[in-house]
Amino acid sequence: MLEMQVGRCGQWLISLDVKLHHNRQFNAIYRALRLALPLVLIGSIADFIDQAWLQTSGYYYQTLNVSHWLFQLKLMRQYLRLISAGTLGFSAIVMAFAVSFYLVAPVTRATADRLLAGMTAVMGLKFLNVSRTSVLSLHTIHWVSTNLGTQGILIGVLVGLLVGNGYRWALQREQIVRESLTQTVTITSIWLVLLATGGLLWTSTQRASLGSAFLALVHWPFHLPHFVLGLFGYSSLSSLLQWAGVLGPLTTIKGESIQTAQNLAAIMDHPGRAIPHPLTIHTVVSVYANMGGSGMLLALLLAWFLCRPDRAQRRLGSLCLVPTLGNYGVPLMVGLPVMLSPILVIPFILAPLASIGLSWLCIRFQWVPAVAYPLATGTPGPLIGYLGTGGSWAALWLALIDLALCTLIYWPFVKWTQLAQRQLMEEAVDHAATKA
Amino acid sequence: MRQLKHKPGLWTLLGLLLVACLPGFWWQPHQATTVRQDYRSEMAPTFLVPGSSATQNRFNDLVKQLNQSSKNKHSLLRVEVMENGHLKYSGQLRRGDRRPYIVVGFQNHHDGYTNILKQAKWFTIAFKALQATYKFNHFSGMGHSNGGLVLTLFMEHDLAKTGAHADRLMTIGTPFNLEVSDPNEDTQLFKDLTADRDRLPRQLIVYSIAGSKTFTGDGIVPFDSVNRGKYIFQGRVKGFTQMTITGADANHADLPENQQIAELIQQDLLS
Repeated sequence: MLEMQVGRCGQWLISLDVKLHHNRQFNAIYRALRLALPLVLIGSIADFIDQAWLQTSGYYYQTLNVSHWLFQLKLMRQYLRLISAGTLGFSAIVMAFAVSFYLVAPVTRATADRLLAGMTAVMGLKFLNVSRTSVLSLHTIHWVSTNLGTQGILIGVLVGLLVGNGYRWALQREQIVRESLTQTVTITSIWLVLLATGGLLWTSTQRASLGSAFLALVHWPFHLPHFVLGLFGYSSLSSLLQWAGVLGPLTTIKGESIQTAQNLAAIMDHPGRAIPHPLTIHTVVSVYANMGGSGMLLALLLAWFLCRPDRAQRRLGSLCLVPTLGNYGVPLMVGLPVMLSPILVIPFILAPLASIGLSWLCIRFQWVPAVAYPLATGTPGPLIGYLGTGGSWAALWLALIDLALCTLIYWPFVKWTQLAQRQLMEEAVDHAATKA
Repeated sequence: MRQLKHKPGLWTLLGLLLVACLPGFWWQPHQATTVRQDYRSEMAPTFLVPGSSATQNRFNDLVKQLNQSSKNKHSLLRVEVMENGHLKYSGQLRRGDRRPYIVVGFQNHHDGYTNILKQAKWFTIAFKALQATYKFNHFSGMGHSNGGLVLTLFMEHDLAKTGAHADRLMTIGTPFNLEVSDPNEDTQLFKDLTADRDRLPRQLIVYSIAGSKTFTGDGIVPFDSVNRGKYIFQGRVKGFTQMTITGADANHADLPENQQIAELIQQDLLS
């Protein structure tokens, strides 16, 4: 029956998704992502309001003249930034803790062991995020907090897996039946010593933090790609990194901001003339392939509601609605999850490529003008091209066609994801019934 | 179609998307004006205005000195404004130089209240012509002696009409109350400057430097006259700093070549 509904390819992907959910490692990661969702959601909404409504570069700030009718802007910004930093800013820590905790949970009933496994992972993550100079100069140790946010989720997951599996192995080897303080102390001490050694080795030999090293990966092959294959490569690699857990905005390519400034200068100083850099990551990828966040997540959300989501799936989509409309895709990445999903990885990479290809063609043949105006943070995806070109209706149509095309690409994969989730839910209900 | 009717989530998403787009459509006609207000051109020249009796060649040595002490060498353009408003150019701006020096001198470079007012108007002519050619919309300025008065008058009366933004202003030995040293006597020029001080750009950062040859001034301009700058700038611009230079080359005529002042120009005006 299922084969008739979804075809062989879909069936294979669904079974792969279900298998991964049964896999101990992936299961721990998916459960950890679900645990982190409320924090990520609150943090993203706070960040969205701060950036789009209360900052001068925000879309609503500019279009609704927020400074004229909203008081205590500074106080509100301070408050929202605090919320955002306290939630999104520690998502890597939450992931390290939860992954390690969920890996150890099935092998021990002792709460102390489970919690200690999680806490050891957190400490391991901190050992990798320490100020190099403070360690090497023997001054008071300073911890670095910049890599503990959404961009550090992959590192958090890896540390959680390492510590959780090690802890699990040690617990199984000792075959502890009851809570034993001596065993717990021994295992924790060994792990802390090992992790601190790893942290010191990294700090003393590498100048960049582990997170920065991962981020540098996305840049090295592409130096200002203006040709379509270069844009494809940049987009694929950044999508792949986002899917693996390096979430959040990636840093800009060297020289890109200069080109953007030159484009703006061209239309300001010589209105009507062609801009010098019409095909860049900024004018193509950021404008037409990032609606709702990296990977055209607005198209994913549209497809999510277009298929037949059950009540729980609909509620999840609704929760992510506001941030996705402001191009904050992290809640969808964590909540659905898109991150590490074997089904959604395909459209997550392909949809932006389709959008880039079509947009590149339209700009290259001058059917649509290139973006030169500054882009306000939080501008709804389809409107970015329209406002970026100073009100070109052709740019708006192109954005809408891109969105429709990407929704079509996402649609079958979203349907398969929903089917896989339902299958997993049914299994869980059956399992609970059997236990009862 | 019937299927679509039963997708409340989809309609909510599309409805919210449309609502979110509305302010953008409404704001778009004002977009160009808003962007232009915040836009700063890549080129931001530094205008140098000499004092009375000095020509457009007054700062040749200073520019050479500044270029020698900096990694970034900047080109120099000299403009002389004739009494009939025509402009004579010498030197040239290097292509790609974003912070060139532009010296504006005047055929009639004599001292006196009326002449200074005329020089300010001639400066405006030069500024507008240069702005039309080089398409800059922000700049910094340094004026020695009466050159500081010319720049201040320009900023009070004509800057707003040009649409340009003044970033920084450095006045060196500028007599805001002319040669009068009596604190109780206000010249007409000082009265003019204080009357229109509210027209000064709010984002401007001003440095006023006084030379100290004697205990009362730099040999020509009295301290009190330089100090009057605070009544014009303080509280009206973003920042106002007063400094006094003593030691070698601290007399009025030598101030632009003073090593300490060159360092201050490098640090506060060009950085």
